[in-house]
Parts: sequence; structure tokens; C-alpha cells
Amino acid sequence: MSTFSSIDSLQGFLKVVSDREQLVTSNMANVDTPGYQTKDINFQSALRNAMSDGTGAHLSPAVQEVSGLPARPDGNNVNIDRESMMLSQTQLQYQMGVQLVKSQLHTLYTAIKEE
Amino acid sequence: MSLFDMMNISASALSAERQRAEITSANMANAETTHTDQGGPYVRKEVVFSANNASPFRTVINRLGRNQPVAGSVRLTEVVDDQTPAVQRYEPGNPDADKNGYVAYPAINPVSEMVDLMGAVRSYQLNASAVSAAKQMIQESLDILKSS
Repeated sequence: MSTFSSIDSLQGFLKVVSDREQLVTSNMANVDTPGYQTKDINFQSALRNAMSDGTGAHLSPAVQEVSGLPARPDGNNVNIDRESMMLSQTQLQYQMGVQLVKSQLHTLYTAIKEE
Repeated sequence: MSLFDMMNISASALSAERQRAEITSANMANAETTHTDQGGPYVRKEVVFSANNASPFRTVINRLGRNQPVAGSVRLTEVVDDQTPAVQRYEPGNPDADKNGYVAYPAINPVSEMVDLMGAVRSYQLNASAVSAAKQMIQESLDILKSS
């Protein structure tokens, strides 16, 4: 029982992390688009939504524009260093989630196994 | 939103940056072209990028219907002509010279074209590394299936 609930939580975590990675990717894709504003996920609220199996909670947009970044003259405020750092960070977070899922499944498998 | 959408977004950026590099190369190749099919010197071209469905609201709506292009991708909307007037050089012997002996050359600065090309290449590299990050994440998800 507890094994499955923790796998469910990890599934929510992986979902939020991959959503964030997609936003980082789209920020990188629009690095030369005039007027584009850097977007990021509100990690805390998104994770809370994903963890609670609430109904309708997914309708609140967790995506927001990042404030405080200096804009270039063409109105674009994508910072390549920030995006590269976020890319590695989310990649490692995803890796951690996957390893945790694997270890949970391994625990389950050990319990099922005969000897 | 899925893992493969990430690759689609990066692919859109790779395509847009490649087209930008192509246009820049064409500008550099035709920096001295005084004769075109349309008549007159070559006109410098510039690309215009725009973001697809960039607003957060559209991003949420896009999750419901799957038909639209991936939110957050980039596309090359149009290629516009540079309106800078042509550079006049006095070359009476040139077959393209006008009656006063002046030849119209395209207003292309090789240095700024080089800088633009380098910018396109760097952006291409940035997005190529995002593709490999997405590939690695998909590979890790597949590793869950492997017997531990």
C-alpha cells in the first residue's frame, strides 16, 4: 500500500519536473524571438497540485513569467546561462525521481520474490 | 505536454535557426551581386521569428485540445527585405553601370553578417544540447521498465 502511494507521489514529481523542462526548452527555442518573456513553472503550487489527487486543481495555470531578468533592447529577456543551469538542474531532478521509482519497484520485487 | 513535446519545441528552434543561417549565408554570398532577375542589385534579406501560442492561458488551453502546434515553439514567420538603399560605386567600365558610371551594390556589411551567422550557430548548438537532454530523460524513463 505505502509502496504504491509513494510511486504515485513520484509520478506527480516526474510530471512537474518534465513540465518545467519543457518550459526551459521553449525558453531556449525562443532565445532570438523579439519580445519573448522567460517563462517558468510555479514549482511549489504545481507540485502541490500534482501531489494532491484533487479534482479540478489542474485548471489553475502554474506557468508564470519570470520577473527580475534584464531585457535586451528587442524586449527579449531570455538568459542563456539561467536556462542552461535550469536544464541541467531539472535533468538531475528527473534522474533522481526515476532512480527513486526504480528503487521502490525493486523493493516490491524483493518482497514478491520467493527467496 | 509530454516528453516528446520537448523535442518538438527544440526541433522547431533548430529549423528556425538553420533557416536564419541559410538566409545569412545567402546575404554573404551575394554581397557583391549587382545583377538579379528582378533587375537592380541583390537586396539583403532578414528573418522574423515569432513564438507559437506563447501566452500562459493558451498553454493551458492547448493541453485540452491536442491539435494545435506545441505551445512555446518558435517559427520563422516571414523573410523581409532590408530597406537600406544600395551603395553607389563609381565604376564606368562595369556593364551594370548607369549613364553616370555608377554601379549599385547591395548594402551588405560582411562583418555584421558574420556576427549574425555566429549567433545563429550558437543558438543552434544551445537547442541541440536541449535535444540531447530530452533524449536522456526519455532514455531514463525507459530504464524504469528494465528489470532491476
